[in-house]
Amino acid sequence: MSHFTLIDGGIVGVYIIATMIAGIAVRRYVVKVDHFLLAGREMNLYLGIASLAATEFGIVTCMYTAQSGFKNGFAGATPGILAFFAMFMVGYTGFCVKPLRDAGVMTIPELFQLRYGSRIRWLAGVVIVLGGLLNMGVFLRTGGDFLVAVCGFDLKYLEITMTALLLCVGIYTVLGGMLSVLVTDFLQFIVMSAGLLAMTILILVNVGWDKMATVVEAKYGAGGFNPFVHPEMGWEYVVANGLLSVAMVLTWQTTIQRLLAAKDTRTGRQVYTRTSFFFLCRWLIPVIWGVAALAILTPEEVGDNTLLAMPKMLGQIAPVGLMGILVAAMLAADMSTDSSYMLTWSSVIYNDILAPFHKGKWSEKSGLLISRSIVAMIGVFLLFYGLWYPLKGNLWDYLTVTGNIYLSSMSVLLVACCYWKRANSWGAAGAIICGATIPVAFLVMEQLPATQHFARDIVGPHFSNIATYIIAATAMVVGSLLKPQTASA
Amino acid sequence: MPEHWFWFLLTLACVLWYSTITVYVAVRGVSDIAGMLKRLSSNGEESND
Repeated sequence: MSHFTLIDGGIVGVYIIATMIAGIAVRRYVVKVDHFLLAGREMNLYLGIASLAATEFGIVTCMYTAQSGFKNGFAGATPGILAFFAMFMVGYTGFCVKPLRDAGVMTIPELFQLRYGSRIRWLAGVVIVLGGLLNMGVFLRTGGDFLVAVCGFDLKYLEITMTALLLCVGIYTVLGGMLSVLVTDFLQFIVMSAGLLAMTILILVNVGWDKMATVVEAKYGAGGFNPFVHPEMGWEYVVANGLLSVAMVLTWQTTIQRLLAAKDTRTGRQVYTRTSFFFLCRWLIPVIWGVAALAILTPEEVGDNTLLAMPKMLGQIAPVGLMGILVAAMLAADMSTDSSYMLTWSSVIYNDILAPFHKGKWSEKSGLLISRSIVAMIGVFLLFYGLWYPLKGNLWDYLTVTGNIYLSSMSVLLVACCYWKRANSWGAAGAIICGATIPVAFLVMEQLPATQHFARDIVGPHFSNIATYIIAATAMVVGSLLKPQTASA
Repeated sequence: MPEHWFWFLLTLACVLWYSTITVYVAVRGVSDIAGMLKRLSSNGEESND
């Protein structure tokens, strides 16, 4: 049965039309590749805060964080606390981000060329795009699942809804690039925030804090409040997520794109420090939703897939009108994430993977045409990958493992590039290969029946992630020390 | 139980901070967008000249 009324549909319709008009209207300001990929580096502080927050909160974010709350209690918000500290400290100290922005590069691999040479730049670009696209591949399906569960739509509309959503995002991103992304991000941040806050207040009033705390205590005991004593979390979960948070803040290209699009280094660092608390909110608010689902849904209502517990709960408690605001908010969250991610990976493909072909000599017109074509092709990839990839295990675990394909090695490369004079191409190549091999091997082993038990139950994603960082850093040190110092990078 | 209070106060801080920053960004972001588009259009005119 659908919980989605004509009034709700009207609210969503107004939001989508406003977004499309705003996104398409700014396309006439795009005359150079630099405008398309980085908005001409004219982004100011408050637009940067809105864009970073909207980009890093999609439906997929809401789903995996709520699942974490449902399965782990309040302790499930621990990665948010770690992300807040990591982002604030990096912005405050300028660790790595200051030399990165000062260099005036368009992407992280471009900085690597200065120390490690053009081959490492190209290899880094390939690894970043591989990890980024695999990571983004599940966004569309998850977004569709959310909308079907929360609105009570028929499952047969899932594919057509996903395709229409992607088409809307694709049109304004292809036409306006980063300018359209920033302007629509601003609108989407406001709509998204209004929906998130309204829904959270409704949950706190209707379900009540005492009921949620009591159910977490009954279900998970002290572990529901403290990750160190949770049987499925423990110190390895905290350490793995701490490493992930620092690496994400330093090298997650969609986050870094805001730093690089900022009008100067000071503005970029301010965007980091002032958005840092949002990275706690983006975990804690959906975790509260997940805990509320735990409090009011019966096991029969939840079924086998805990990922859908939160949207089912929202479908039950959201009244007419607020349902429309909620769906508009979540569409806003998803569209801003999809557009930024499509543009970001296309910028790495254009700027770094295709660098040996264009060598910086293509005209602005050709560059714009190629960049727009890449965005469109990423959209097509997303559509097909999102439809067939069978997600197994926890969504957050999948995202951390695919993200670590490049986060571990790129963060090691960036720190060494900025602060270790002895770092060179041998160490960089070793770190990239080791950093990518372990997560890919884990993903493959998790899918194969023969090795599934070993990967999931004996090693587990947390130890796999910690090992990835340690081995990537070791490879960087050993490789760099082995290379004769007389040879050039 | 102190952990209950920790998460309760953190939730309260999140809702209050998020509400404040949303209003603040909504007000200040408009002038950011106007300024960005103005600078880009003037840069475009300069490069055309």
